Amino acid sequence: MSSRKRIVTVAKKEIIEFVRDWRTIVALVLIPLLLFPLLFIAFPVVMQNEATELEQKTVDILIQSNDIEDLLVDLLENQTALVTVMTLDENLTTLSDADNDTVELRNLEYDAILRMELRNDTWYYAILHLSTSEQSNEARGRILDVLIDWEDDLRSQRIESAGLDVESTLDPLQWDGPISDADVATKGEQAGMLLSLFIPFVLAIWTASAAVQPAIDMTVGERERGTLESLLSLPLTRTELLLGKWLAVVSITAVGVTLQIGGLLFGIAYLASDFIDVPSLSFAAIVLLALAVGFYGTMIVALYLALAMRSKSVKEAGSVLTPITLAMIMPILLTQFINLDDVEMFWFGVPFVNVLLGLRELLLNRIIIEHVIVWVLVSSLICLLTVRYAAKQFHREDIITTKS
Amino acid sequence: MEPLLKLTNVKKSFGEIHAIEQVNLDIHKHSVIGLVGGNGAGKTTLLRLMSGVYRPTSGSVKLENSRPISEMRSVLGVVPESTGLYSKLTAWENIRYHSRLHGIDDQLAWDRTYRFAKLLDIQESLHRYTEGFSRGMKQKTALLRALAHGPQILLLDEPTGGLDVTSARIVRQLVRKLKEEGGTVIYSTHHLAEAQQVCDRIIIVHNGIIQADGTPEELLTLTGTKSLEEAYVSLTSEAARPRMEESEQPSKISKIWRRLFTPKHQLEVDEDE
Repeated sequence: MSSRKRIVTVAKKEIIEFVRDWRTIVALVLIPLLLFPLLFIAFPVVMQNEATELEQKTVDILIQSNDIEDLLVDLLENQTALVTVMTLDENLTTLSDADNDTVELRNLEYDAILRMELRNDTWYYAILHLSTSEQSNEARGRILDVLIDWEDDLRSQRIESAGLDVESTLDPLQWDGPISDADVATKGEQAGMLLSLFIPFVLAIWTASAAVQPAIDMTVGERERGTLESLLSLPLTRTELLLGKWLAVVSITAVGVTLQIGGLLFGIAYLASDFIDVPSLSFAAIVLLALAVGFYGTMIVALYLALAMRSKSVKEAGSVLTPITLAMIMPILLTQFINLDDVEMFWFGVPFVNVLLGLRELLLNRIIIEHVIVWVLVSSLICLLTVRYAAKQFHREDIITTKS
Repeated sequence: MEPLLKLTNVKKSFGEIHAIEQVNLDIHKHSVIGLVGGNGAGKTTLLRLMSGVYRPTSGSVKLENSRPISEMRSVLGVVPESTGLYSKLTAWENIRYHSRLHGIDDQLAWDRTYRFAKLLDIQESLHRYTEGFSRGMKQKTALLRALAHGPQILLLDEPTGGLDVTSARIVRQLVRKLKEEGGTVIYSTHHLAEAQQVCDRIIIVHNGIIQADGTPEELLTLTGTKSLEEAYVSLTSEAARPRMEESEQPSKISKIWRRLFTPKHQLEVDEDE
């Protein structure tokens, strides 16, 4: 029997065993597949409903002023608001001084208090509110909307009374035509730009988190269940065993990641097409994208298999791999902040960061040969080192003894 | 006659712990050999050396014609103490997985499996998941798995441990049948009576050393005793050492960390010990 066949036999068995657990299917297939479509559907619906609900609520507004105009009161009442007018306390140091009215706002007697005072020709105002209350924020928002419109009218009246043209005075510099027409980037490229900040993040986090469970289960889990010893007495080298398990974990992780990206693209294409387009990528960029994902998966899975095999128990493996998965957020965040137009070459030599940067460039359909060569070479080396480290762990004699 | 399996001056150490000391053994064809010893005696280590799971620290383990054990795993069938079955696979899938890795055609493996399954009376359970299997069923399945590729040598580590009387009897009958058919079985147990029933030759292992090796009659003559039990007691009078696994030490960091969360009076007791 050839070595390749033995590796495939091990991988097939691992995948069958893993797939037979329904929780795995939910975690690795259904959730990634449905996550983004649900987010695209559920988020707008929930946000729209909440906004409508809030808009329909009547808010209680207290106006404290000695000079308030009836027009302003009417405008506020038209905003579904119950308005009470009182005189302004003369002992206030500033209008923002909320001391005397704190209790009323905290007890929600009023959702917001508008204080206004006319000094010479200028209106001074303050809106007291409770920022931790949605309804108070809504009341503040409605007051601001009314004040802005009222101020616009007041400003226009004053400009007109000075004999000036309102539009050319207020807006002497104006954009001509639709703003989007001036952007030479295609919609697909714009989508690539947006997704280049998003897809590497999803890929990296999902690859790292999806690989944890199978990596533990197929190494230290197998040892704890007592199935490893009989496997090691078979005509199968430990490197073949590692590669079989690696292939299984990579396949399982790849399915999860592919489904998640598929769900994301489906969500974009069919549910959020008004906001974002599907990125336009060349064939070479797609091939290199697959290579970058392959490198990332190889490194992560080999590292996880090695560390899980090194662990003395499933519990210990979990304690080791969980912080490492969280630590993976570091290179991901770094990648988000690096300016791709002026990126230094050394970044493409930093393991993990280089692959994620490569992904970002490729999603922008940029293939910069020097960058590609560096991240491919460095990632190949790191892949080799992580696989060798994993092989070293698999060749340890004590891998069949367990402390559990 | 050249032995099927030959251990020459085999020594196995784990760090400073010597699990097996200077073992010389010849295993000939068509025999059932019992490895008898208490817990931690070194039986499992010896079996793992024979199956190639462990490499000897010094000495050699070779099959006939001086072939190294690593190249000859296909002639071995191993049933470890834990049985090592995958619970989400059926009994047949477990067996087929190993036979495929041995390079055996599925049909051939099935024919052999079914024949032995009838002897063990589990032919009806071959397509059931092993998750709900009793200890006896698991042991029988592990035996079928070890036999499916037609091994020359069968290594059984405590094959009747935890089995009920009937299941243990069936396993012993199978071992005898294998011997009748020309097979070679190495059978580890800590039950002398069982070894006497099944084995042609008994090897008594104690503290990693082979204390005696011979037929039951030869052991009685060697020790001048009237029963195998007395013979065993006289050969293993030295206090037994703890199991190897129990002797393994935690890392330095683990030790320091553990001390931080251990009451002071408990630490003093531990240090005294």
